[in-house]
Amino acid sequence: MTVRIEHAGITTVQDRGRVGWAHLGVPTSGAADRASHALANRLVGNSPHAAAFETSGGLIVTALRNLTLVVTGADCDAFVDDTPIRRCVATVVRAGQRVRIDRVRDGMRSYLSVGGGLLGPQLLGSQSHDTLSGIIPLLLAGGIEIGNGPHHGPTTSLDVVMTARRTARLQLQPGPHLELLSPDTRAHISRHSWVVSPLSNRIGIRLTTSSLTVSVAGELPSIPLIRGAVQLTPGGELVVMVADHPTTGGYPVIGVVDSKDVDGLVQLPPGNSVMVDSNF
Amino acid sequence: MRIVAYGREATIVDQLEFQFTESLINDVRVACHAAGASTNDIIGAARSFVVVHSTQDAATVQRVLFDFFTRRGLSDDDALPIGTTIEIPVRYDGADLDDVAHACGMSIDQVIHLHSNTEYVVEFCGFAPGFAYLRGLPPQLHLPRRASPRTQVPAGSVAIAAHYSAVYPNDSPGGWHLVGTTSLSVWDANQNPPALLQPGTAVRFTVIS
Repeated sequence: MTVRIEHAGITTVQDRGRVGWAHLGVPTSGAADRASHALANRLVGNSPHAAAFETSGGLIVTALRNLTLVVTGADCDAFVDDTPIRRCVATVVRAGQRVRIDRVRDGMRSYLSVGGGLLGPQLLGSQSHDTLSGIIPLLLAGGIEIGNGPHHGPTTSLDVVMTARRTARLQLQPGPHLELLSPDTRAHISRHSWVVSPLSNRIGIRLTTSSLTVSVAGELPSIPLIRGAVQLTPGGELVVMVADHPTTGGYPVIGVVDSKDVDGLVQLPPGNSVMVDSNF
Repeated sequence: MRIVAYGREATIVDQLEFQFTESLINDVRVACHAAGASTNDIIGAARSFVVVHSTQDAATVQRVLFDFFTRRGLSDDDALPIGTTIEIPVRYDGADLDDVAHACGMSIDQVIHLHSNTEYVVEFCGFAPGFAYLRGLPPQLHLPRRASPRTQVPAGSVAIAAHYSAVYPNDSPGGWHLVGTTSLSVWDANQNPPALLQPGTAVRFTVIS
């Protein structure tokens, strides 16, 4: 075993998720901010598919062997024992040392990759912890130990920290139900700013705005949902589907957010504003 | 039928006049691969399905889908149930059985008779892993969902809502009317395939007394 969890905090194991099972109702899951997850793997010398920790803080692990790690994503207070870890720099940790990510700042999710990648149990071909469906190959808790794969490297360090992307303007491609909206509703969506709701999570990012009344005639048949699909709820909220989103849904899908903008959206703390750019 | 872009990395085919099944999913996948486009997921829902692909394969996938459906001129006859009929033994002891009988203006025995003397077909899976929407519920039993969903519905609950029946694969919240329970497991993440009921599977409920 390579690391022992002392305190899990708000942390899950994530790789790139489960592809090919959505027709049976299985969410893709995987890293919420795919770009930051891929960067953590690339800098530590792993395949982009390798599993890493995704944390919103409170993570403490002990190295059981010498290892190399990289932290990316949201800015965070990260330490090896009492020495701060610089983000995007390959850091060597000796057996017995403690690695902590106390608090995540200026973003929502940091990624901690370990050379060789985390090697825990899989379900349906992935180690990812799916918060919607309860497909959880490994629930992190104090005392849990995880191994890693063979580490070939090479590692890379960046002089300039690559900060996680933060989306301020959502570029929407038209969605299958856009035509059901009245011109007034379409105009309202792009003229007002939207605020990230505290109810946002790994399943959906909820955006609220003032005084949007929605009228869509009748019930729609359920359609398949994809990452980035934007549902308009009867209450006038936009819900952007992210990592653990359900595979089908019955609310109108008015647009689709590009993959890179989804990466930046999941890093926005509640209360942040976004504008919606559309050619509606 | 309509074939349109669903963002840059997916294409949706909706307003279908026939039901999409597991065997058609495989046919579409093969046709895309033959044209040099790889597909990640192909997901069916109610009279619609989505192909998830890379941005650069979008045009190829849309052309393949257009050729595939115009050439084959599919109808519901192409969506006959696959494999053998799966029998699901049900103890009709659901918490909503009384309310369902009352709302439908019939006796409990009539509800049980109607629900169990019907051949269902899995239209699609969604909501939760292995949760199959079973088409074929007799119109006399069509009811809107419960006004207030339950926070916890036990795994194995047999339920109805709108024109569907379903078996809850795991404990989960749920707004459907509970008519019975089965001990048959419909979901096991350690099996391949993990879902007993896949799109196109035929299903019949049998009464345990």
